[in-house]
Amino acid sequence: MTIRGESKIPTLKAAALVNPAETPTPGTLREGPRRVFIAGARRRVAVQLIERLLAAPEVDLVLGVDRGPCPPALLGCDPERFLFASADLSRRRQVDNLFLLDRLRERPLDTVVHLAFQGNPRGYGVESHEFNVNSARHLLDASLRHGISKYIFLSSDAVYKIGPRTDYKVREDGDLNLDHDVHPILRDTIDAEFMCRAKMDRPDCEIIVLRPSGVFGGGVLSGINLLFESTPPVLPVGFDPMINPTSKERLARDLILAIFLHGKGVYNLAGLTAGPLSKFLEERGITAIRVPGPALGVVNRMQRMLGMTRYHAGFHPKRLYYSLVLDDSRFDKIFRTNADKVPALARTPDIA
Amino acid sequence: MLLHKRKVDFVRPLLPPREWERIEAYAVSDAGYGTDPFGTDPDALGLSYAVGYWLHRHYFRVVSQGHENFPQHGGAVIVGNHSGVLPFDAVMLAVDIFRYTDPPRLLRFMVDYFVYQVPFLGVLFRSLGQMPGTRRNFDGLVEEGHFVGIFPEGAEALGKPAEKRYELYPFSHGHVELAARHRAPVVPFGLVGAEEQMTMLTDLRPLARALRLPYFPVTTRFPWLGPFGLLPKPVRYFIHYGEPIHIDPEALHSVEIRSREVERVRDAVADLIHVGLQTRREYRGSRV
Repeated sequence: MTIRGESKIPTLKAAALVNPAETPTPGTLREGPRRVFIAGARRRVAVQLIERLLAAPEVDLVLGVDRGPCPPALLGCDPERFLFASADLSRRRQVDNLFLLDRLRERPLDTVVHLAFQGNPRGYGVESHEFNVNSARHLLDASLRHGISKYIFLSSDAVYKIGPRTDYKVREDGDLNLDHDVHPILRDTIDAEFMCRAKMDRPDCEIIVLRPSGVFGGGVLSGINLLFESTPPVLPVGFDPMINPTSKERLARDLILAIFLHGKGVYNLAGLTAGPLSKFLEERGITAIRVPGPALGVVNRMQRMLGMTRYHAGFHPKRLYYSLVLDDSRFDKIFRTNADKVPALARTPDIA
Repeated sequence: MLLHKRKVDFVRPLLPPREWERIEAYAVSDAGYGTDPFGTDPDALGLSYAVGYWLHRHYFRVVSQGHENFPQHGGAVIVGNHSGVLPFDAVMLAVDIFRYTDPPRLLRFMVDYFVYQVPFLGVLFRSLGQMPGTRRNFDGLVEEGHFVGIFPEGAEALGKPAEKRYELYPFSHGHVELAARHRAPVVPFGLVGAEEQMTMLTDLRPLARALRLPYFPVTTRFPWLGPFGLLPKPVRYFIHYGEPIHIDPEALHSVEIRSREVERVRDAVADLIHVGLQTRREYRGSRV
């Protein structure tokens, strides 16, 4: 493990005990400054999030962690408030050591945001699976051991089962994608969610699982974004599913709300608008090619081989056929309606 | 775009100007991309209403009464008999209600999910506001104050053989439970005419299962005339809407009460079918 800006490893601290009777009201502001650990700091949405957090004086320290080097966009950040650490989150000892840094001895971390899930089907193998499972377990366990009071896991809307019977708006209690032939990444994601859910009744730590809809944004590794970045996108003939994607800016804003406000549980996150996939393509001036459904997999494979797309049609096969519109009214009610309580958001432009 | 953006103008001759005004007056709550949250597309609606109006006025020559029974505001569950091999009865009902309610109300049916597996058909149904029959979809539609159409006999009733004409199949309980939960009135209707538009001889069940359809009809004209055999005969439709039925909220807590309410609705539909048959006899008699 290498740490930029650190040299000593301090001793363990005891976890703070919370009186269960004093459970804070969801949507109220968490008191005090924030010290945030972001796992997966090289992701685009993580860079957005870190930049916004560092713009807020209420944030004391951000610890960004990933396997590779610090992303260039964050190299110029104030070293007093931003630490970057390269660590393998699938190694328990390395994860544990991150919470024991000298800088954290007097004022420990209070929030962990897990954005480090390996969700890219390209090159997915045993190593990716072990990383996903172990990092989710070690990070959550270490967070609970070291007195973290808020743990956020960024999941995906791909966990939902979709088909001809899908509801017009899918709530958090919608059917999960537990088919026998589901992609292993989705199984890993659902496993990680279940790990979080198993600890959600802990009174000393608010555990929150966020399921964002497809995320638009340059370089974002979301399925819908990769589809739109394909040259050209290939869709099945005769189907035009409804979607309500979000953007990386909006997602970063929602993550900030989750960080600063009290609340726990499972929440959907979605964009403001919903419509047929074809209308989103049309708005962006993208012309898709349509092929018969049975040929979609073959054409997608050829496109990937030729480098014309990074979208993997086999990851969520029914996605291009049936609608998936997320109902995020719960998150809206508890978090977004209380956004005015978060000074960090008041200082930065409100992103729709 | 999947549904090619047709110039709706080319179907203008099918509709009188006042009907175009009614279409333009119909408000679709835009979810951001021209459709409502359910996927209803105003362009597709206008185009389909134009074709449906022509069928309603000139092909099926629908005679209907009882429109005063529809609530002016808020949701309602519209329930009645289903028949005719292909769901032209549903189409004519939707057109009839849109035509004779003021402001125009769109009837949105709870559709068997197999439709949404068929290329183009699922998208068409969705663009016309017709939704897969799930509880959450029903809840969403009623909460937003829409009319929700349900055929409690199920899709199988479409394949009713000739000898069972105007006999009601058993009703499912879902519409009563959902109406009770939302305190929405149930408006029954009886539709006469659809049973005669195609004469069903038999149902090829093995082929239906293989094609994942609820039934595969063999009629006097299909499959002998190919796809043209599925065109319905130009029979006149008679639609009667009954008084709204307010479901006992205790139906949510008691199977017996729920069954009793289902029978109450079924009896109302049966009575309206009887009225429709009587009206048809009188209508034919007066035309001799």
